[in-house]
Amino acid sequence: MTTTHAPTPAGTRSARTRAAATRPPRTSPRGLPAAVGSQVFLLLLALAFLAPVVWALISAFKPATQIISDPLGLDLTALTLDNYRRMFADVPIGQGFLNTAVVLVTKGTITLFCAPLAAYAFAKYRFPGRDLLFGTVLITLMLPTIVLIIPLLLEMKALGWVNTYQALVLPGAVDAFAIFWMRQVIADVPDELLDAARVDGCGEFGIFTRIVLPVIRPALAGLAVLTVMNIYNDFVWPVVAASSERMATLQVVLSTLAQNITGNRVGADYATVTGELLAAASIALVPLLIVFIALQRHFINGILAGSVKG
Amino acid sequence: MSVLVAPGRSRGRPMLRPWLPRKVAPYVFVLPFVALFVAFSVYPMLFTLRLSFTDWRGSGAARWVGWDNYTYLLGNEMFWGSLGNSAALWLMIVPVQVVLGLLVAVLLNNAKICMRSFYRIAFLVPFVTPLVAVAQIWVVVFDQDYGAVNSLLNLVGLPDVGWLTTSEFAKPTLALLFLWKTTGFIVIILLSGLQSIDAGVYEAAAIDGASRTRQLWSITVPLVRRTLMFSVVLQTLAVFQMFAEPFVVTDGGPYNSTTTAGLHLYEHITRGDLGTGAANSFLLVVVVMGLSLLFVRFLRTED
Repeated sequence: MTTTHAPTPAGTRSARTRAAATRPPRTSPRGLPAAVGSQVFLLLLALAFLAPVVWALISAFKPATQIISDPLGLDLTALTLDNYRRMFADVPIGQGFLNTAVVLVTKGTITLFCAPLAAYAFAKYRFPGRDLLFGTVLITLMLPTIVLIIPLLLEMKALGWVNTYQALVLPGAVDAFAIFWMRQVIADVPDELLDAARVDGCGEFGIFTRIVLPVIRPALAGLAVLTVMNIYNDFVWPVVAASSERMATLQVVLSTLAQNITGNRVGADYATVTGELLAAASIALVPLLIVFIALQRHFINGILAGSVKG
Repeated sequence: MSVLVAPGRSRGRPMLRPWLPRKVAPYVFVLPFVALFVAFSVYPMLFTLRLSFTDWRGSGAARWVGWDNYTYLLGNEMFWGSLGNSAALWLMIVPVQVVLGLLVAVLLNNAKICMRSFYRIAFLVPFVTPLVAVAQIWVVVFDQDYGAVNSLLNLVGLPDVGWLTTSEFAKPTLALLFLWKTTGFIVIILLSGLQSIDAGVYEAAAIDGASRTRQLWSITVPLVRRTLMFSVVLQTLAVFQMFAEPFVVTDGGPYNSTTTAGLHLYEHITRGDLGTGAANSFLLVVVVMGLSLLFVRFLRTED
């Protein structure tokens, strides 16, 4: 603790503050309205945060013309799957899901294996070149990702990888943030634990898999959720590197649909496209939402375990 | 040397010669990362750096032009305009986010509040929702003629607002999208800072008669200063690199009012002027690094 609490000079203490000290804070009469106020404030804010997503999920089931003529109304008898049917007929969303799943599994595995392993070396070994390498990692953390898009695209062309899974999987598979975060976490693992394993005859790689990984599991779960989220949501690089219909990921399919909306600004067409758009947006966000709600404890605890301390 | 069989070990498994000596291990461990990192980060980064000193339109030989791209940009109105837009967005986003994030985190850290896990999920829902989906919802909800927000305004007798079609409203609407999308994450980061504060400090303050507001200013804020600084730097990076949000929602319009620094950089690329685009990105890195250092300094010297 860096701050020491200076006691108030006795003379300035009024009778009221002394009374406050003896009274348990939770029954203080002033506390009750404040607690109700906080609760109301949080509730309203939470509803505001949920409203757009809930609105989209519900509106996708409304007839397309009603979405734009009466955006706030809800006629339960008129609910329909038309938007979904049209969307499935118009865009290759099934293929999009498949491509996203392939990229998610391969790229996710690479990230979750390579990043902690390299971070372990950075955190627990001394070797020539370590600081230079880690410094380079920190610099790339500052660089806008769009900067790398041109040279990466040229590289993909030279390798003949445009519109392939390699192009979607390998660039960005181990990003600087994952290394930075994992190094922070592994540095907190006590050295004694690693040395004890070494004395017991555990090999260097065994120490990583049997000691380090189990100890950092909460942060690893956080990294897993964050990685899945980033891969699932990524769209700038996939649009540039693999936009063919066969290779399009879910987000690429979604963004091509979005481009239609600017072209159809009037009348019934606008309504149709809006309906399809909301159906596609709903179907894209629901899987991630389910994963997130199922794993939210791990995710939140993981971030809490991994971020900087106050 | 651990390579040799340990003498005098009578108990347990006999120690074998490890297949991975301790001196070699770190190199093996960083190898997969280094291979990917060099091929897909370092090499493109160096390529871009070299590109920024050339005039190259994507084919043929690149012509070396020295600092020309940089001096062109530094005298260019659009470049400064894009930085100005990003700075304006920063002002609309970061202070609001820090205050709101801290307020929500402090409330959620209070055991008396019920439904805390519901709130944590609710605030993080926008953060986990795919940006492309979010942006499309935003376009539809804030549509001038058919959007839900204007319908709400009409209900209470207010006229339609051109949320995304007028230059005075487009920027705040974009800022609102960003706030909505990322504040939940900031709340969680700040919560981690709050949870590392010893509860005893508050008890001592309460005994000394410090009010809740006083405790917030005199204890909470100073003790989570590092976490606050981390959030500010993180969001500064994000705001100045912001690309996808304006790209999908407004495409920089109307009248370039939402052409952020990140989006402007991309415009050079789509025009095929790759050298200028590369120079623009390094200027942006300098700006972002400068700002980050400034905040770190500012928040350090405050005690």
